[in-house]
Amino acid sequence: MTAGRLALSSGCLADLAIDVHDLRKTYRTPFARKKVEALRGVTFHVERGHIFGFVGPNGAGKTTTIRTLMGLIRPSGGTARLLGHPVASRAARSRIGFLPESPYFYDYLTVGELCDLAGRLFGMPRAARRRRADELIDKVGLGGARGLPLKKFSKGMLQRAGLAQALMNDPELVVLDEPMSGLDPIGRKEVRDLILELRDQRKTVFFSTHILSDVEAITDRVAIIARGELQAHGTPGELVSQRLQGVDVVVRLPASAPEGDAGLAGGASRVRRVGDELSLTLPADADVDAWIARAHAAGAQVLQVAPRHETLEDLFVRRVAPPAPGDAAAGEAAAP
Amino acid sequence: MIGRIWAIALNTFREAARIRVLYGILVLVLGSNLLAVFVGELSQREADRFARDIGLAGISMFGSLTAIFLGVFLLYTEVQRRTIHAIVCKPISRWEFVVGKFAGMAVVLSVLVGVFAVAMLGMLVWQHTGVSAGVAKAVVLSWLEVITVAAIAIFFSSFSTPFLSGIFALGMWVIGRLTPDLEAATRAAAPWIRITTRVALEIVPDVHLFAVSGRTLDGTAVSVHGDFVPWSYVALAAAHGVGWTVALVAFAALLFHRRDFV
Repeated sequence: MTAGRLALSSGCLADLAIDVHDLRKTYRTPFARKKVEALRGVTFHVERGHIFGFVGPNGAGKTTTIRTLMGLIRPSGGTARLLGHPVASRAARSRIGFLPESPYFYDYLTVGELCDLAGRLFGMPRAARRRRADELIDKVGLGGARGLPLKKFSKGMLQRAGLAQALMNDPELVVLDEPMSGLDPIGRKEVRDLILELRDQRKTVFFSTHILSDVEAITDRVAIIARGELQAHGTPGELVSQRLQGVDVVVRLPASAPEGDAGLAGGASRVRRVGDELSLTLPADADVDAWIARAHAAGAQVLQVAPRHETLEDLFVRRVAPPAPGDAAAGEAAAP
Repeated sequence: MIGRIWAIALNTFREAARIRVLYGILVLVLGSNLLAVFVGELSQREADRFARDIGLAGISMFGSLTAIFLGVFLLYTEVQRRTIHAIVCKPISRWEFVVGKFAGMAVVLSVLVGVFAVAMLGMLVWQHTGVSAGVAKAVVLSWLEVITVAAIAIFFSSFSTPFLSGIFALGMWVIGRLTPDLEAATRAAAPWIRITTRVALEIVPDVHLFAVSGRTLDGTAVSVHGDFVPWSYVALAAAHGVGWTVALVAFAALLFHRRDFV
């Protein structure tokens, strides 16, 4: 599947939660009229019930894509549909929930009033609004902060309040722009659990993040965007190469071993010694059995031998690194 | 539609009602009313005149300045602080959002004008002065002025910074207030000055219609202390204010509709 123009692999339009085709956005600076291409023909789709991770470096076009999907930005070209409806339509917007990046809300409102506002905009009856707001405020762990104005909330608390208001309408599609940003490890785990819980409820979750371990842990599909273009798109398993990249080895050196690598690190990379433990990565084509025999002969105890495959982080770095000068293929989307 | 506009209006009202500076303005106006009573006592027979003049001037001036202060931040802050991002992605039209914001601000200003008016009436009753129909008409006219000025402010707020919006709105209010004086001053001027002034005055709401006490209308002097305008005049002024308000809020909605929220 190519990244530049990704054809629909299966299903019809009705099965797609998000369908983006050749999306473009060009900004013009006010006076110089200089063009800035934020999106250069982005095409992808998200199937219903999936968790979709949207990753890319700063300035890649993630937030522009999300804001276009949420109707905050008008595209310069291309089309985008949510749940089978154009993004700007009321039919689409009544069935989605959105958490903006670094969310800001009205300073003087409480989290209950914020949820109530969201519920009113979705046309929910008063009793349903109250019940749902209470339930969500407890779910995101803000039960103890009900009476506080939002201006007294920490960044993490605002993020939780944002999640609560985004889920007021029990949306079919939840779009989260950097939902783990500003959260401590426990908060991140709670958001991850919440995303998985949404999937269990057969919701579709589309989220952007910088945290690749979260993407690997919970997503069904991933798209990598850089310089306004999609660089890769697929399941994490499809995207990363299954080819052996090397072998990670950890050995315990004998007490009598001198400082350094005890002559075991020849040809290896990522060599690191902490106390009497030596860790290194052997090349993919290394004779591992011969190396282990050599380690035993040197009096070392082998603690770990593990094959090393490409990670999403490796792929991310490979795909989003700026093209080398003169590289003819620069800027062209490539297949994973 | 009404529910969504009401939701935004209620939210705007809740936000504005918790801004402490409004309470400062309230104290200022109540203080000016007390000052009017004190100065009135000194002048003995003019006590009720002072209370009416300062009370009505307080409603008009503080009300309009508050309208500008609130209005210029109304839409700009939503975009700048990105609070709007979690709102316009929901099933609400952008014009409904603008109308809701304006409606919420109009309710805040109406409550403020109501409190100012009650304070002034309290002073008049305290001084054993009857509350005339003229005073009631003048309060209604001042309220219309405040709402029209709010519409001017929200119009500029839809595309400009609070500082520039404040200058533009203040300029339009002052020019609108001085329209008869500017017309009189340029009557004998060169034709191009007269035409330029005329054109400038035509694109500014005639807020002087709302501050009519002390002026001459159709050769008759009108004063809130004596013969004041009939209710038909108030209705015409209201039509003028409502017309401008609808037009300005519609323009604000149109400009807002075309914006990208980055």
